[in-house]
Amino acid sequence: MPEFTLTSAPPLAGYDQSFDGVKLGAPVDLAIVSIALPLGGEVAAEKAIKSAYGAALPAPGKSVLSKDGLARLVRLSSDAAFVIFTHATPDAEPHVAEKLKGAAYTTDQTDVWSALEISGAKARTALERICPIDLHADAFADGDAARTSMEHLGTLIIRTGGDAFLLLSASSSAKSFLHAVETSIHNTA
Amino acid sequence: MTQVNRIDGGQVDRSKEVKFTFNGKHMRGFAGDTLASALLANGQRLVGRSFKYHRPRGILTSGSEEPNALVQLRSGAHQEPNTRATVTELFDGLKATSQNHRGSLEYDLMAVTDLMSRFLGAGFYYKTFMWPKAFWEKLYEPVIRKSAGLGSLSMKDDPDSYDKGFIHCDLLVIGAGPSGLSAALAAGRSGARVILADEDFTPGGRLNAETLEVDGMSGADWAAQAIAELAAMDNVRIMTRTTIYGAYDHGIYGALERCTDHLASADGKPRQVLWRIYSKRAVLAAGSTERPIAFGNNDRPGIMLAGAVRTYVNRFGVTPGQEVAVFTNNDDGWRTASDLAGKGVNVTTIIDTRDAPAVCDVPGARHIRNAAVMDTVGRKGLKSVTLTSGQVIPADCLAVSGGWNPNVHLTCHQRGRPEWRDDLSAFVPGADLPAGMAVAGAANGSMTLAAALAEGRSVANEQIKDLGFTASRKAAPKAEDEPRDCAPMWHVGESKNRAWVDQQNDVTVKDIKQSYREGFRSVEHLKRYTTLGMATDQGKTANIPALAIMAECTGKSIPETGTTIFRPPYTPIPLGALGGRARGKDFRPYRLTPSHDWAEKNGATFVEVGNWLRAQWFARPGEQGWRDSVDREALMTRKSVGICDVTTLGKIDIQGKDAAEFLNVVYANAFGKLPVGKVRYGLMLREDGICYDDGTTARMSENHFVMTTTTANAVLVFRRMEFVRQCLCPDMDVHLISTTDGWAQFAVAGPNARNLLRKVVDEAHDISNEAFPFMACGEVTVCGGTPARLFRISFSGELAYEIAVPARFGNSMMGVLMQAGEEFDAVPYGTEALGVMRIEKGHAAGNELNGQTTALNLGLGGMVSAKKDCIGKTLSQRPEMNRDDAIRLVGFRPVDRSLKLIAGSHFINKDDEAKMANDQGWMTSVAYSPSLGHSIGLGFIKSGHERMGEIVRAVSPIHDTEMDVEIVSAHFIDPEGERLRA
Repeated sequence: MPEFTLTSAPPLAGYDQSFDGVKLGAPVDLAIVSIALPLGGEVAAEKAIKSAYGAALPAPGKSVLSKDGLARLVRLSSDAAFVIFTHATPDAEPHVAEKLKGAAYTTDQTDVWSALEISGAKARTALERICPIDLHADAFADGDAARTSMEHLGTLIIRTGGDAFLLLSASSSAKSFLHAVETSIHNTA
Repeated sequence: MTQVNRIDGGQVDRSKEVKFTFNGKHMRGFAGDTLASALLANGQRLVGRSFKYHRPRGILTSGSEEPNALVQLRSGAHQEPNTRATVTELFDGLKATSQNHRGSLEYDLMAVTDLMSRFLGAGFYYKTFMWPKAFWEKLYEPVIRKSAGLGSLSMKDDPDSYDKGFIHCDLLVIGAGPSGLSAALAAGRSGARVILADEDFTPGGRLNAETLEVDGMSGADWAAQAIAELAAMDNVRIMTRTTIYGAYDHGIYGALERCTDHLASADGKPRQVLWRIYSKRAVLAAGSTERPIAFGNNDRPGIMLAGAVRTYVNRFGVTPGQEVAVFTNNDDGWRTASDLAGKGVNVTTIIDTRDAPAVCDVPGARHIRNAAVMDTVGRKGLKSVTLTSGQVIPADCLAVSGGWNPNVHLTCHQRGRPEWRDDLSAFVPGADLPAGMAVAGAANGSMTLAAALAEGRSVANEQIKDLGFTASRKAAPKAEDEPRDCAPMWHVGESKNRAWVDQQNDVTVKDIKQSYREGFRSVEHLKRYTTLGMATDQGKTANIPALAIMAECTGKSIPETGTTIFRPPYTPIPLGALGGRARGKDFRPYRLTPSHDWAEKNGATFVEVGNWLRAQWFARPGEQGWRDSVDREALMTRKSVGICDVTTLGKIDIQGKDAAEFLNVVYANAFGKLPVGKVRYGLMLREDGICYDDGTTARMSENHFVMTTTTANAVLVFRRMEFVRQCLCPDMDVHLISTTDGWAQFAVAGPNARNLLRKVVDEAHDISNEAFPFMACGEVTVCGGTPARLFRISFSGELAYEIAVPARFGNSMMGVLMQAGEEFDAVPYGTEALGVMRIEKGHAAGNELNGQTTALNLGLGGMVSAKKDCIGKTLSQRPEMNRDDAIRLVGFRPVDRSLKLIAGSHFINKDDEAKMANDQGWMTSVAYSPSLGHSIGLGFIKSGHERMGEIVRAVSPIHDTEMDVEIVSAHFIDPEGERLRA
């Protein structure tokens, strides 16, 4: 037995609140691994992703769920993507690397980001106060993803359902980000 | 006070009585009133004092163009000055007070300035307060400032909150009058996403103020019906109490929504929201503004714009007077007379400047043709008017109409210039509109009702067809075109007394003529010389008449004389709204280190480093000040072991087959042959050869590097590298991603660093000096299998490591390191001790990498690799940057060791005079070295490396200090580097 043990404490762990028309919570054990497609090896990498996840890498600005529905592939740019899935232990990156069999470069991003899931009939109304992206159902379809900035904090927003959005922002400023989202909910309640 | 001027009709809700006070007097109005309509209903004609001459003033208009009726609303910290009574929605409990008077509103002591008006004309300040020069700041300016201004601030923090937001639409319709409603209906029916914004609390614009019919019903009823239809559409958003104040690039509009200004309390919600509206297309349907005619004493309370008079009668059920005269140069003025007569108000006289028959029949009113008002009587309220013929007509209200100006403001926000239309005697929008904008209705010069309704529909249809929508076939609402003939008349030349053009700034016809005589003839000069068109109304009623008077002086036409264009905002925007939420601790977001909670619980004092909050030192009981804590932290670290959270340093994950080659491009020194498992110090140059950033880069595997940058430059370096990757080296297989926040990284420094880490790093990893020497790196596990990265690097000069664990374990890791270090008397240290130790070791930091210094200056000239090219290499070879006497980074210590060095001091040779020409360099960083027991410094001095032992003077004229200092090695501690290799 090691003499010392480490405990995990992500900045928003355990946060889960319901407001009038809006639910806001920090997803539990959300792991994020970035995938970079090697120059000249894009086809092989995309093939490896498809065979690993049963879903083709979508176009930039889009995301898809893996065939088993357990992972979300988010295409950020022509050569970069995230795979987002539930994984409690700090070995998400080797886990993905193994699935891709060396066809792409992977970097653990789990602790880089802090996630909030916002959903409900008034989710868009609240987000209107901080999100410059047009979130109208016709303009931002299910699965759409966009890099933007909310209250000066870089944010990746992904529509994960009818009225549901996943917001990823830097983990060091997670508390400021949570405050920004909570303030928006309060101001529009 | 009873509502003496309340008459039948109007759209106020008489079932809801509203109580309010004006200057402490209790008054009543109805829901749906503005403060102005309620004041008029209560017979309160005198509302304020004018800006410069403290003239008694009343209400001129019924809208946002109001120059006179500026009041202070609410009390205490909520007090808001300079609010237009004409757009203030009445609510129960509203407290309003008049402003800009000393003593009471009725007996203002400052009215004495009016008696001195002969001496206070345009340019008075510029001519009078020129000399003596010294008097301006101490005497003139404070005195003028004290007597100028209108309302007063509470001088307390604004207790209200504000917010901002972003909304998107296909079509933004600006203004919900006849053309705006017609446009919104057309676009809404086609399925386009529409935002309809209007500054009023009841949409409808002039439809609510007129008796004209639309589709066989009253205009107000038709407007209400149109709003109901629009409100039922999912694709239409109606924003009342919302002013579109600016037209910006790419179809972006600024909007201010007043959310709770009409309520007694904001109830914790934002008072106002500043919206950024992203539109694909826009229809400007901002209507038009009536202009006055200038004549002697035309500023008396009771003299109002004719359109406003009938707004009060038709919309609010209030007559501004009991004995009304109308003075007009156009047909529209007649409508005021006929509407008032229709409501039983006594209209005695219609004075028309035109020699033309009556426009309509107004029972009981006398029509005087080819006449004009020359002067008026009634200091605090109009009593009579005097015509050019000398005839005196008793009146307590004079309704004046000089014609209507299209509200072209937003068409000018991107330098568009309006064009003159002779038939309207007004400017209409020019051709160069902001991209995506089209104009409809009165704003476009379509001044009659049927034309406005039809144009709103057709313009909206054109706009949405452009976006691929199919226009609805439904016809435009039906109405008639009312007579609109207008014969220009700007001022009454026969007037002997002062004729006011800009009532907000007290600018008269005479002032404009004087401006012309003194050579201030362009519109821009006129504005600046006389202050015409400034302040809250931005000359909405004054600019065009003033331009016409200037044209008269120059003998040119109005369009030849010029035009004023407008810039945002259309109406005043509170600074609170522009600030939004960014106040106090919410001014900006904070970044917290992973061990922030631990630090907080262990007495850390935090310092802001960019957005980061970092522990600056950890005070212990009994310590008398920060120096005690910092000295202790540095000494204990050097004696045994210290731990510092260094997570804030930028971390960039670099992968790819060409990663090493890429690093050779961005770094001055070579990285191609860095072995796996090793770290190297790296120096980046700017394109111009100046040092940009420094840090370390570790080779984790053949194609995988981990770079650290300085805290301050983390984002800049990443952005620059991404630029290099995408634009300069697109053929390289290299990929970058930030992992700054992903790893909690701790410096563990001091002779016992290894002993401490051995207790934490799992046994499988050999971290002995042999297996893991200075500048080694590797992936390890800690505390029974948690992945970690270990780097043997040292900023302090001690045996030191940096150990990184996934950030989620960071707080726990700090506790574990301290616990494991207990037997070694481990100490947490903050940024101050970090700084002290790096100065003792002679490491460069931000003060040395200040954007002016080269590798040579830093003593790192040899690092710019001769064997490869890199960014900045060529320009770093410029002769001037490689002079023999270039400044060099060296150490300094005071000759008198008890003295404290001062950063920023400049070095002067011993016998030289302390002046710029003799400048030898400057002190960049200083600290008290607890290890040496005296003050030490780093600095740049010419040929410093060849001047060891020389005594120079460190001079700081700012601090008025001077001391002798000795040039020494920058490495005050362990110059041979034995400790860090131990």
